Amino acid sequence: MGIKIAYSTNQKTESAVIEIQEQLKISDPRLILFFSSSNFNQDEIADGIKKAFKNADVIGCSSSGELTCGKMLNNSVVLMAFDKETINDVKVEIIKDLKGSPEPQAALNSFQKYYKTPVSDLDFTKYFGIILIDGLSGCEEKLMEQIGTKTNISFIGGSAGDDLKFKTTFVNANGISYTNAAVLALIKSNVEFDILKTQSFNKLDKHFVATSVNEKQREILELDGKNAIDIYSKAVGTTKESASSKFMSNPLGVLAGDEPFVRSPQQFSENGIKFFCNVAEGTELTLLESTDIVKDTQSDLDKKIKEFGKPSGLINFNCILRTLELQNKNQTEAYGNIFNDIPTIGFSTYGEEYIGHINQTSVMLLFK
Amino acid sequence: MAGKIKKQIDEIIIAVAKDNQTIRNITKTKLVLKGINPDRFNDQSPDDPVILEKLKLIAVEFGVKKEIK
Repeated sequence: MGIKIAYSTNQKTESAVIEIQEQLKISDPRLILFFSSSNFNQDEIADGIKKAFKNADVIGCSSSGELTCGKMLNNSVVLMAFDKETINDVKVEIIKDLKGSPEPQAALNSFQKYYKTPVSDLDFTKYFGIILIDGLSGCEEKLMEQIGTKTNISFIGGSAGDDLKFKTTFVNANGISYTNAAVLALIKSNVEFDILKTQSFNKLDKHFVATSVNEKQREILELDGKNAIDIYSKAVGTTKESASSKFMSNPLGVLAGDEPFVRSPQQFSENGIKFFCNVAEGTELTLLESTDIVKDTQSDLDKKIKEFGKPSGLINFNCILRTLELQNKNQTEAYGNIFNDIPTIGFSTYGEEYIGHINQTSVMLLFK
Repeated sequence: MAGKIKKQIDEIIIAVAKDNQTIRNITKTKLVLKGINPDRFNDQSPDDPVILEKLKLIAVEFGVKKEIK
């Protein structure tokens, strides 16, 4: 069987689950991953899918639009099933009370106990992690940083969405849904896997240092020692009054080598610029300029397939800001078509997780 | 005095990544996201006490404090 996918646009939870079961026609998957519109009752969909696949570990989250082969959907459920030949083992943990203080140590200890190896010693070519996190918790950076200092295993994932209502997002594990929580799954793979991070921006020759920030509020107060709003407005060549219209097309990037990790401005605040992601004080930033998402994604995926081979499955954590841009440009069909020939699921996230927390990016996990 | 920042960065990266180039690159990225770009420092970089203090904390987070002198 390997990896199989299914989806349903049926709005009744029970019927959607039956449709998915009928499409999959499998009895004994090892792991189920699903993303469902927040318009589904999250307790019901989590419970329904777990009951349909009793022997599998089941993880998922609410979304703001879903993805599958050839389609960008709304109000749907998309699901990927992995068999035991693909996934050797899975251990799922939940981190609760994120807004208090996200603390992954207990989960990491549990992984250590389960796999009988310290997480710092696990082979990053055989193990990977999936992280699904409350997209309104504002805790993604802290959690990813803490995990990243304890292990070299890549945790890839996304911040759960709620169809742009910005009220409540859910993650779920083995039949139970949670808010203000993160689900971590540490997976031992039987097949090769790889990661693709892609964003569609040119780097401009305009650089700044974040000299004063409020990390908790995800605010940059000063760039190069001056008011961040003034500096940004000047850099994008417009007035303070109209500079916010440039946020989508001109975010800032933290460059690691040549690779940008995008920080997207959200709004001007009283004291500076609020972002969808925090920026550490002293960070060097580069002004970015948007390019064509469809063209760039196709090109980056083609390159990856050339070196990795054609994937048997792909999970796409795709930023909601990219989805909105694709919608504005009537490119959703073209974007969906990129994944026509690859068993794919994904969702429009409120943030992407890979090494850290990022914006306006697509992080993909590919399986051989 | 100069060069301590690069020395501390190198010690963290070596302790975390050992000889693995992939982990080395990922660790460098983790440092960049924490506000310290390893490529910006060399043997002549002045010993900025603020950055050195930040690196001490980062070394503790990575669990390599004992290897930082």
